[in-house]
Order: sequence, then C-alpha cells, then structure tokens
Amino acid sequence: MINWANFVSQMFNGLVLGALLALISSGLTIIYGTLGVLNLAHGAMFMLGGYAGYVAYSYTDSFIVAVIAGSLFVMVAGVVMERVIIRHFYGRPDEDQLLVTFGIGIVMVELVRFFFGSLSLTVPAPQILSGITSLGFMFYPTYRLALVGIIAVALLALFLVLYRTRIGMIVRAGIEDSVMVDSLGINVYRVFMVVFGIGAMAAGFAGIVNAPVVSLTPDMGEAILVQTFVVVVIGGVGSFPGAILGGLIAGEIISITSMINPGYAYVMLFAAMTLVLVLRPHGLLGSQSRA
Amino acid sequence: MSLLEVHGLNSYYADSHILFDVGMHVERNEVVALIGRNGAGKSTTLKSLMGVVRPRSGQVVLDGVNVAGKASHAVAHAGMQLVHEDRRIFGSLNVEENLVLAGLTADNKWPLDRIYEMFPRLRERKGSRGTDLSGGEQQMLAIARALIRDPKIVLLDEPFEGLAPVIVRDLMKACRDLAAEGQTIVLVEQNLAATLALAQRVYIINNGHIVHEGTAADIKAQPEVLHRYLGV
Amino acid sequence: MIKQRPFLVETLTAVGLLLAPFVLPYLGFAPNTVNRILVWGLFGIGFDILFGFTGLLSFGQSALYGTGGFVAAYLLTQAGFPHVVTALFIGMVAAAVVGYLVGLIALRSTGIYFAMITVAIAEVFFFVEFNPLAEWTGGENGLPGVPSPSFDLGFTQITFSSGWSLYGFLAFWYFIGIVVGLRIIRSPVGAVFRAIRDNPLRAAAVGHNIHSYKITAFVIAAAYAGFAGGLLGVMQAFMPPDAFMFHTSAELIMMTAIGGTGTLFGPLVGASIWLFLQDFLQAALGLGAAWKLVLGVVFVLLVCFLRRGIIGGIHDLYLWLTRRGETEPDAPEGVPLPLGADVTASDMPAMPPQPRATDGHDGPILQAVGLTKRYGGLVANSDIDFTVNHGEVRGIIGPNGAGKSTFFKMLTCEVPPTSGRIVFEGNDITGRNVTDVCQLGLTKSYQVNQLFTRLTVRENLIIAVLGELRGKFRLDIFRKIDNVQGLTEQVERTLAMVNLTARADTPVTALAYGEKRRLEIGLALASSPSLLLLDEPLAGMSPQERVETVRLLKSISRGRTMIVIDHDMDSLFELVERVTVLQEGRVLVEGTPEEIKGNPAVQEAYLGGVLE
Repeated sequence: MINWANFVSQMFNGLVLGALLALISSGLTIIYGTLGVLNLAHGAMFMLGGYAGYVAYSYTDSFIVAVIAGSLFVMVAGVVMERVIIRHFYGRPDEDQLLVTFGIGIVMVELVRFFFGSLSLTVPAPQILSGITSLGFMFYPTYRLALVGIIAVALLALFLVLYRTRIGMIVRAGIEDSVMVDSLGINVYRVFMVVFGIGAMAAGFAGIVNAPVVSLTPDMGEAILVQTFVVVVIGGVGSFPGAILGGLIAGEIISITSMINPGYAYVMLFAAMTLVLVLRPHGLLGSQSRA
Repeated sequence: MSLLEVHGLNSYYADSHILFDVGMHVERNEVVALIGRNGAGKSTTLKSLMGVVRPRSGQVVLDGVNVAGKASHAVAHAGMQLVHEDRRIFGSLNVEENLVLAGLTADNKWPLDRIYEMFPRLRERKGSRGTDLSGGEQQMLAIARALIRDPKIVLLDEPFEGLAPVIVRDLMKACRDLAAEGQTIVLVEQNLAATLALAQRVYIINNGHIVHEGTAADIKAQPEVLHRYLGV
Repeated sequence: MIKQRPFLVETLTAVGLLLAPFVLPYLGFAPNTVNRILVWGLFGIGFDILFGFTGLLSFGQSALYGTGGFVAAYLLTQAGFPHVVTALFIGMVAAAVVGYLVGLIALRSTGIYFAMITVAIAEVFFFVEFNPLAEWTGGENGLPGVPSPSFDLGFTQITFSSGWSLYGFLAFWYFIGIVVGLRIIRSPVGAVFRAIRDNPLRAAAVGHNIHSYKITAFVIAAAYAGFAGGLLGVMQAFMPPDAFMFHTSAELIMMTAIGGTGTLFGPLVGASIWLFLQDFLQAALGLGAAWKLVLGVVFVLLVCFLRRGIIGGIHDLYLWLTRRGETEPDAPEGVPLPLGADVTASDMPAMPPQPRATDGHDGPILQAVGLTKRYGGLVANSDIDFTVNHGEVRGIIGPNGAGKSTFFKMLTCEVPPTSGRIVFEGNDITGRNVTDVCQLGLTKSYQVNQLFTRLTVRENLIIAVLGELRGKFRLDIFRKIDNVQGLTEQVERTLAMVNLTARADTPVTALAYGEKRRLEIGLALASSPSLLLLDEPLAGMSPQERVETVRLLKSISRGRTMIVIDHDMDSLFELVERVTVLQEGRVLVEGTPEEIKGNPAVQEAYLGGVLE
C-alpha cells in the first residue's frame, strides 16, 4: 500500500535533490566542456561552500551573507586552483589531471577537518523560511520548498549568464572551439579561469544553500561527487541542459527508490547510468565533440 | 617597409618538420597567393603566421612588430586574422552572435551594417544558428568574422573549397571588392583559376620549402612551373 | 621492462622480507604497522598492474577488496569453514569473478568515463554491503571473529596470531604475490599491457585484442584485491565494513602514486611512507588528525613534480648520478644512413612475408569492388574498383578533395564502407577491424607517428611481433617473454630492415625524427605483413631524409606488396611501379608513372583548367 502523502513527499525530496544535483553538475559539466578537465575536487567545493557560509553565519547571523560568502569563497578558491595548479596540467594526460584534482579535493577536505573537526555543524534556515508548511494533504518543511525556488533562481541566473551575456557567449563558444575563440582575439586562458570560477561557485552556492537541510561534515562532498558523475554521464558531458535533465532524473531515482528500500537507491542510479552508457554513450543530450 | 615580412620560418607538428625556412613578404593593399600541392605546407604556413601553430624559429613581422611565437589572441590584436579552412564557425551561436563575439575585443570594429552590406545573405540569416547555415553561408560568415575586426591583413585558407561554382563566383566578387578597397590579403587556394584571377603575386611551396616567387602574370605565362610543382 | 639478472628482484625481496622484523623496529615501525603495510602492498600489486602498467585508473578497487574479504570472512565465521588459506583463495576467486563482470561494464568506456564509472561502482558496492546484504556482511558492524591461520602438522600446530607471528604469514603471501606479479609483467601479456597504456590505438593495430587484455588486467587486479581483503580480515581478526568505503580506493591510489606507479613495489613503498608518517605525525608531532592533510599535500606535490613517485625519483637520481661521467650523444640527426654508399637493396636482409592464404604468389592480393563511402549527403568515394597484385608497389594520388584518405582508411579497415566489398588474400575483409586485418597480414604505417612512447625501440617491435606470433589474444601470463619462439629473431630482422639495430635499446623519446619514422615503418613491418600500406611516409621530412626513406622503402618492397599515399610526387614516382589517380571520389586513371605524367586528364585534374 502506497502512502500517497509519503509518495508526494518523496517526489518533492527528489525534486529538491534533483535541483541541487542539477546545479552542481552544471558547474562540473561546463568546466569539463571548456577545459577538458574532470574536476574531482568538485564535491569538496560543495562542502567548502557550506563551511565558508557557516563561518560567515557565525559572525553575522545573516543567512544571506552566509550564502554570498560561501559562493564567493569557493569561486576564489576555484580561480586560485586553476591559476596555480590546473593550468600546468592542460597538456598532461587525463590520468594526471584526475589525480591532481583528486588530491586537491582531499587536501580541501582535510583542511576543513583540521580547522573544524569531524563533528557535524549546522546552519539554521532563515527565520521566515523555517518550520513546516501545510500543502493541504500533507506537511512539508518550508525551507525545502523554498530551496527548490532558490536553486531554480540560481539555475536561471546561470542560464541567463550563459545565454544572455557576452561572457556566457564566450564560454559557450569556448566549449565548442577554444582555439577559434583565441584566434578572434579573446585570451582563452582567461576564459578557462572564469569558467572554473563559475563552476566552482555553482558548487559552493549549492553547498551553503543546502546546509540547513543537512548537517555539515567534511566528508559530505564525497557522496555528492559520485551522484554528480552519474548525472553528467546521464545528461551528457559538456551540456548544461543535460546537467539539468540528468539532475532531475537522478534526484527522482534516488528519492523514489529510497522509499522502497534505501539501500537500493545507488544500485538503481548506477543501473540507470549503465543503461544510458549502453544506449547513448554520449549521454541523453551530449554531443560527439568531447569524448 | 612591407606590411608583412616573414623570415626563416620553421614549423613542426610534434617533431615532424613541416616548414623549412619559409620566407615571404606582403605589401600593403596587395593580394598575395600561396599555392602548392596538398600537404606542401600551405595551411601550416597560414597557421604559423596566426600563432595557431607556434613556429619553432623565424620571424613574422607585421607592421614592424614581430608576432612569431605569440599566442593567437595577441596576433589578432596585432592586426592579423585567419579564416580557417574548415571555417570553424560556432554552431551553437547564431550569425549575429558569431559576429558580435568576433568584434568584442577589436579596437576598430566594423559596424554590423557594413558587414551586412557586403554579405546581404548574412543579414537575411542573422538569427539562424551556425549549424543551420549552408556551406556558402558559413564561409561568408567566417570571412565576415575576420573582417569585423578591421584587420590589417587577412589570411584566407581555401575559402572556395567544397562550394558550388555559383557561390564561388559570389565570394570571388566579394574578395575582389575587398581588394579594391585596399584590404591586404594572403590567399591559399587550390582553385588555380580563381587564385590567379585575384592575386597580384604568387609564392609556390613544395614539401615545406618556398620554391618559386613571381607575379601572377608571369606564372600564367610559364605553365611549366605550375606543372612542376602542382601537377604530376 | 625489468630486464636484470634472473631472480634478482625476487631474491632481494625475500632478503628484505626476512630482515624486516629485525631492522624495522629500530626505525620506529610497530609490528602491526608492518603487517598493514604488507596488506596494502599486496592490494597495490594488482592495482599497479592495472594502472601503472595498463594505464587504467580505477577508483573502484575497494569494491573487490571488500568482496574478497567478506566472502572469506563469511566462510570462516558464519559458515564455519575450517581452513583459513582455502577461504582466502575462495575469496580471491569470488573477487575475480565479480571483477570480470564489473570489467565487462566499466571497460566499455575509456579515460574519464571509465574513471567515473569506477567511482560509482565503489559507492554502489558500499551501499549494497551496508544495507541489502547486511545479514551476510554484518552491516556497519562488519564480521568479527575471523580466526588466525593455523596449520596442524601432526606433531605440532603452528598458529600465526598477531604481531611478528602473523608477519611471517603475511610476508609469505606478499612474496608469492610479488613473484606472481613479476611473472605477469615479464610475460607477453605484460608487454601488451604496457602497449595499451602507451598507445591503445597502435596496440590494436598491430593485432592485439585490447579489450580482452584490459579485462584480464582488471581481473588480475581484482584477484589481488580480493586476496588482500581476506588477509585484512585475518590480520584484524575482524572484517571491517570500511574495506568497501571509497576512501580505501582513494588511499590505495595515493599510496601507489606516492611510491611510484609502474614499479610493482610502489604501493609497498607508498604504504610505508603513508603509515609511517601517520604514526609519526600523530604521535611525535602531536598533529592529531592533520596527518592526512600533510599526506594529501605530499600527494599533490608529487603528482605535480615527481610524476613517477618516490621510486621513480630515486631511479632518475641514480641515472643522473651515473650519467654524469658519460656524455650522452646528442641525437639531432640520429644514426644516418651512409650517404651514396653501397647501401643497396641487396644489403638489406630480406624478410619474406609469411605465406598466408592458400593462393600462390600471383594475381591479386587485394581487390576492392564498388567501394563507396557516404557521410550524410556527402559522397567521399564513389563506386571504386581497385585491384593490386602480389608484389606490386602501388601509389595512390589525387588532387584535393579526391577522397584519398577516406579510400585509404577503408582499405585499412579503419572506416567501414557504405557499400562495396574488399577482398584480401581471398578473405572478405569488408567492415572488419584493424586487429583482425593485421592478423590476416595487412598492416599500415601512420602519417603521424604512433609509437609506444615509454618503451625502447626493441620493446616497440616486440609488441608488434607478439601480435603475429600469439594471435589476437592469449592468456600466457606466466610465460617468460624470452620463451616466445622466434621472437628475438624476428625483432632483430625487423631492426635490420629499418636500420635501427644500433639504436635498439634507446627509448623512443630519445630518437631523432627520422629514426622515429623508421620505427613507425618497422612496427608495420614487424608482423611480416603480406600487404603494407604506407600513409604519407615522407611527411615532415627534409630533402635528405626523403632520399633515404625512398631507398629504405625500395629495399623493403622486395617480395612484399605495398600501397603508398604521399604528396611528394617526385619521391613517390621514383618508388612506385603503378599509380592510381583519384579525382572527386572516383578512379580517374591508372598507369605507370610515365603514363600518368604524360596524361593530360591528370594534369587537368591537378591544374584545373588554368592553362587554356
């Protein structure tokens, strides 16, 4: 017997999770599409956003400041990472790039653990969004409802930047053909830096806005990283619409299977990923250009 | 002083030596052609001038500034533009976006109207995505993209390849008009009739070496040279 | 490859393992730490074979580690299985089987996708172990009560309990693991692994079924992981669930990278450093949990600067110190062929192609009928009929847009034709792949060098010859590569054919361009093909090099059929006997070089009506 309220509640959870994954994966996919680097530190950046926001919150008691601080801090961290380390790896084999971003991710996690310990921390939701809302047939945590909206706005902002601004146009052109962009007088290495910053910021923003829903631990990025990979494989590497579609699909798969048996959520996710790989190796909305 | 002076250019793909001490000069308002068989190094020469391929040695002096070995965005800022042989327009952007992007960092960019006047077809298709354009339209767009930056010199890499004769005629007219307006052009093209009609001077490259230089008229009068280096 | 005095490495390992309990305590190693190092070391041998030697970076080894460990632990605790060692082996087999199934899925992709899939696999296995299978695995509690191995010898019983007692047991299995690992990498399979790591495209083109080899590497790594997992349970007398955790895979990767990939001992060295620093940083410096941070930074620094880890760094240092006396001869031109000397065709030892199909050596060797290739609306090649006879040297030319490269790719089976048929030595090869076609005797030398960049000249040729001598795939992981019949002779013959005997043991990276080109041709020649296709063999060459290469190609062409594409007309016409001219996707005309030169239609095709 399916408890309908439970089912709808889980669908909503899936929506929240899906939106979150969509945002984080967008960051990962534009980095990969433009630079050709798979950022294994992306989960750590998500975590870093949460912690940076926590620090800002503890000083200012303002959730908004926390969100801004979290996003900016991770953006700067991403830019520094790209300038200091990643740029030396563009010519090196894929495995070296994987190893170095992987190592940087570990360093980030351990740095946080060093300063904050392993016990979980919390960032409370802002007052006006706390508590629960009645939806008629069921109750749902208010902040989670709001979170879908917040992330939707963030995704919209990302969309507007990518599709309605000049820098977005450059980024999209760069994903397609970075050599040609350079030929037209635009310093493509600066583009790489900007893209890395934007991608990192997406992860960091997701980390802080998600903080009231979970508790912050240094290891929280690991699970997110895996889920992000699955989303990117399903949606198609380098595709922003693909990240959104893949995110929503993944979010729903996880939530709905959790309802039946939490242990199988990952199995289902993995099965879905395998299915996509077999039927459409470039992902649902991916293109042939990037392998 | 010539607008473009190239000395001792050596370029490689990995460690495969493609250009051997290539040298040439281009005067202001000239149309100079570089001809040769497939694989002779014509495309590599243009790419080396533009910095898409970094030459290992040699000088590329554009209006007094040596740009050899610089990144291509720097070469673009020095006033050189290359229309790549595979056009490389941005398929996910529309025509106007392709043009706007090209002009973003140019000091003296052409107004869009001037571009559309030269290529009315592009005005008709300005909202179409790059992938939806025909071959001829893509070629027009690629050339327009280079021109919008008001370059001192334009390098055209096989602009007429794979296009129907009717379109080639239109493009040739556009090139002739450009030359008449004083645009300096270096043309690489397999279509010898078109090349010799447009160019004043011709360089012949064979196996990575410049083997002949002369006026178009002289070459037309000496077909043996063409046989030797372009025929069999 | 490890070519030293026989059994030197094994002996040194045995000596080291025997001495360790006496030396290590003075360096601050507790026995338990040493035991943990050994288990990681063994786990890492398999991983190094997979990553260091085959180039497959898997983040999912924890899945196999846990599988083997829990199967063994379950047998020993819940199922009341009496023999520890047998349980360990059963765990290993279970892990190998699971590894095979996982490999079938994961290895359909390469590079980034492969890495991502292995990450996902690690997580899936952990979750499955934790939840659905919790009854068998003890969920978050793991499986306690794993017994120590004990052997009843009748008159006495030997039990390896813990500390230095258990060390003996673990050291023994580590030693076995090293001996087996060394055997594997010294086998032909090990050579193919390295080829896959360096250049999978070429490895397939010289006749190896690389997919099968990759799966083999994956299964080997899984077996090592499974056995090591079982040992973990024995060592701790308890099988912990964190064996399945992602951080286990992560730590394995970091330890291997720190120690040095591609060395087999890297994981052991890396684990020693890792665990030693962990104890040291925590105890001596009181840094608490920060040891992992320090190790993370060390790892990043090593990846940036010391790409081959500690062992690699020591090796480079050793080379640098021993080289300082000698002057490494600068190799700008390589070893040139004597100019104008009597290097004629007769000087080169002929290497007759192996007799292949049933036909005699007359008549057509390759016949293409109606060959067409369409890309969407574009027709690259249209209805081409093309025949080459045994022993011919044929050239293919054509102006721009003639479709030469597409046509060539169809002949080499890199691209399947849209319609038409290709018959080679009586076999229909239409739509087959480069590996099969190489096995049948058709090979190609590439326009851009496709060499095995981390190997020497000799090792490159060995890979190619192995493809011929062993077929597409053979699981001879325990065979010594020297024991492959005919390998050395064929490699030496090929070296002589391309005049690289003097440079046989030089690494590819130290070769001059002309030498690399000769090796490139040598790779295509090494498997004694009856038909050799050469894609722009003269590309990127100086005039002098062109003359030499034409001479070389002429000497090779004796008793062999060759098809050549090149843009250098002069050189090509000197080399070939017959020329096929393509234009706009079709055959225009065929004839001898003289006939073609004098043919007005050909001139017209190239010069396009300029000369009216």
